[in-house]
Amino acid sequence: MKKTGRKSPGTLEDRGAVPAGTLEATPEEKRTILRARAKSLAHEPERKGEAEKYLEVLAFLLAHETYAIETVFIREVYPLTELTPLPCTPDYIFGIINIRGQILTIIDMKKFFDLPEKGITNLNRVIVVQEKDMELGILADEIIGIRNIPENALNPPLPTMTGIHAGYIKGVAGEGIILLDMERFLKDRQLIVNEEVGA
Amino acid sequence: MAGKNDAFIKRLLSTFKVEADEHIKNITAGLIELEKEMEPQVKAGIIETVFREAHSLKGAARAVNRSDMETICQSLESVFSGLKRREIDLAPSLFDTLHRSVDMLNAITLSPPEAAVADPGQISRITEKLAKAALGETGEKQAIPNDQPVPRDYPLTSETETLPPGPEPPVRETDETARTQKKAMSTVRISMEKLDSLLRQSEEMLTLKLMADRHLEDQLDLAHLFGLWDKQWAKIYPIICEFRRLQEKSDKQSGKRTQDDIRFARLLEFGELTHDNMKILESRLAELRKRSDHDRYATGLMVDNLLGDVKQILMLPFSTLFESFPKLLRDLSRDQGKDVELSISGGEIEIDRRILEEMRTVFIHLLRNTIDHGIEKPEVRKKNGKPPRGMIQIIVSRSEGNRVEILLSDDGGGIDLGGLKEASLERGIVSPEEARKLTEQDVLSLVFQSGVSTSPIITDISGRGLGLTIVREKIEKLGGRVSVETDRHKGTTIRMNLPLTVSTFRGVLVTAAERPFIIPTTDVERTVRIKREEIRTVENRETLSLEGSTIPLVKLSAVLELSERKDESPVVTILILESQGKRIGFCVDEIRTEQEILIKGMSRPLSRVRNIAAATILGSGKVVPVLNVSDLVKSATTSAIRAAKPAAPQAGGEAAKQTILVVEDSITSRMLLKNILETSGYLVKTAVDGIDAISQLKTEKFNAVVSDVDMPRMNGFNLTEKIRGDKKLAELPVVLVTALGSREDRERGIDVGANAYIVKSSFDQSNLIETLRRLI
Repeated sequence: MKKTGRKSPGTLEDRGAVPAGTLEATPEEKRTILRARAKSLAHEPERKGEAEKYLEVLAFLLAHETYAIETVFIREVYPLTELTPLPCTPDYIFGIINIRGQILTIIDMKKFFDLPEKGITNLNRVIVVQEKDMELGILADEIIGIRNIPENALNPPLPTMTGIHAGYIKGVAGEGIILLDMERFLKDRQLIVNEEVGA
Repeated sequence: MAGKNDAFIKRLLSTFKVEADEHIKNITAGLIELEKEMEPQVKAGIIETVFREAHSLKGAARAVNRSDMETICQSLESVFSGLKRREIDLAPSLFDTLHRSVDMLNAITLSPPEAAVADPGQISRITEKLAKAALGETGEKQAIPNDQPVPRDYPLTSETETLPPGPEPPVRETDETARTQKKAMSTVRISMEKLDSLLRQSEEMLTLKLMADRHLEDQLDLAHLFGLWDKQWAKIYPIICEFRRLQEKSDKQSGKRTQDDIRFARLLEFGELTHDNMKILESRLAELRKRSDHDRYATGLMVDNLLGDVKQILMLPFSTLFESFPKLLRDLSRDQGKDVELSISGGEIEIDRRILEEMRTVFIHLLRNTIDHGIEKPEVRKKNGKPPRGMIQIIVSRSEGNRVEILLSDDGGGIDLGGLKEASLERGIVSPEEARKLTEQDVLSLVFQSGVSTSPIITDISGRGLGLTIVREKIEKLGGRVSVETDRHKGTTIRMNLPLTVSTFRGVLVTAAERPFIIPTTDVERTVRIKREEIRTVENRETLSLEGSTIPLVKLSAVLELSERKDESPVVTILILESQGKRIGFCVDEIRTEQEILIKGMSRPLSRVRNIAAATILGSGKVVPVLNVSDLVKSATTSAIRAAKPAAPQAGGEAAKQTILVVEDSITSRMLLKNILETSGYLVKTAVDGIDAISQLKTEKFNAVVSDVDMPRMNGFNLTEKIRGDKKLAELPVVLVTALGSREDRERGIDVGANAYIVKSSFDQSNLIETLRRLI
């Protein structure tokens, strides 16, 4: 019998392990094991409380830190293949790209959080976020995946996170995921580039 | 005048026709729906709709004086109002009456206006029927509400009376009727939103064209590779022949081949086979190229035709823009105590809606200018032997090559060329030597310069000398031209030449600091390639001599704040760009090509980026920024000034700050003004009224005074007078900020010698700050 390679707690072995000492299970034993497994798999996942709310977020890497954006704000995730840097813009404007005929502005969040540059690799993705008429791409060094974060498990940002951009952080989840406050971010007027020559 | 009115009525009627048609269709649809079995709620909804449609149609009919239709609609309305309150039932016989009345409405709509009154007998019969229905068949319920009385002119007759069978249209079947009928059928209403989306999508098709171009280019490159191979083959072929001859010779001599010989022969054979294959591929490629070329041509043609037609759809007559002008002019001229008449011709000429929208601001600026500076007051006009009423004319006419010419002329005082020259000298736009050499036309072109105004005072309407600059900028952006002609004391004519449609944008693809950029072709005056030694340095700035004039040179990469390695190539490529009368040469790495491009606006968060207007997508899919030439020229001049005087303003620090005296009795306004000015970097002292101000002015040095008008003890006018009367203070700039916006006050402001007069209601900080910057 092969063992599954899962690492998550509560692997299949725990739920219907092969009895110790036997190398080959009898058909009868197999049935028992399978039934036990089926029962255990049919079990609803444990929940701390029924009323608890979960936030569905997309987690990604910026430098060495894990950040997350609520999926409600995300339109799509797009691989970063070609980028046109834009002169005469603030440093957080990473450049512009063409997504199916539309010009999209790419923001480099690392500039807001004083994170080191990693250089562009083929793991880089653009997370396209949208709120009303504001639509932009956020540069991610690497996508981790979708996570569900219980809302009440969200801790306030660390006191060491100060500065004007601390407002962009909604909270820190258990596994050290920094949840960005997309609503606030996308509504921030400071984000808008509106510059005249000589001003 | 009568002819114009007729034309207007004609237009109105055709609009009415379209509208009426729509209402009638909706009523008919509603009636048909009502005949079906359905839930009472749904039914009520439909009744409500039909009621509204009848009501709207009634209003429209009244607007065009079709009393016959109005009467029918009125009766229809009464019936539906009764149905709404469930006071009458929907009997099958009622439907007949209703349908018949709608048919009659339709017939009247389609009839020409001369046949306005359809058979009055028929109309009265149908309205009677309707009136009776509205009362309910039994007549016991009082179904008619007070606000919708049934026309009493029609006596109720017995119920048995019926209409003549079939709705006989009370229309003479003339040619014209047939035509209008057809016309009404072929017109549809589409929302602008949908049309815009259609235009956008058609414009996107340009990408196809660009892609086809790109593919053809790639194939040309391939063909070129074949050419190279051909040359190589030509070199190697004699060697192959040589070897073959040698082999044949040895074959004849010895008669048998060694293993090596056989292998060598196979190698030679394969070489020739490869050659043949290559030849086939080459000819196939040539064929493919031919087809691609044809496809490109066909695609281009189809896309251009489609785009042309879509643009045609988006054309609107000038009159849609001009409609609001008479009122605008009346209001403006009344404020100024002037009397003008506006005459417009050529309003029916159609032009791209997007151009028309841009032209709105242009016209408003120009009309304001004309009223403010051009047209004199009635008294002055009389003195000069002119009719007291000023005349402004707008003439639109078609000109050559799908363009339109617009003349805006007035019979006012004309432009004071002497004053214009002086103002330009004062603002440092021309040097005294230059001024002496200027021709009349040169002087005139100065009116378009930023900051030039002959107006003695700055007001909200004009005088800041920006109006005409904006006008020229806008018109040039649309691919148009503007010029001005003036005759002192006789009038001024502004001549504008515009394209009828927004032409497909063309751009020059250049590289700077190894990055590609697009510069709009219309902004490129010319391109030159010169030897590096030809660059001259004048006053520590690089310049280029071109046909006798000296043009400043800058590096495009430097203006765009890009770092670049030192370029030492012996030849320099320069684009000469012109904006607002300034010509500057921009050095680039290379000019790649000139091509059609599709402009893609940038959206938030990029509202406005310095030096960059938009972006475009090349055939390869690459995104390239499109540069904003007016910004580039501005950047080039400011950065050049900065370079010439390194950090001089900063060196002075606090001491260099200018001090402003704010005189205002209201504490709130005082705080507001102080705050606004301080944020803009001025030092601010305050005074509570004129007396206080005078005493402060005597003890301290100020760079300008910003004063309210209405104040206790000493008001703003008196303060200004006092300042002007004082020898030491006479030159001190005074800005009056006031809630009083009347003409008399403004004139009083001029009389007492204020430099600017800003009305509080339109008071935003940029206005004040800009005025101060100009004055100090």
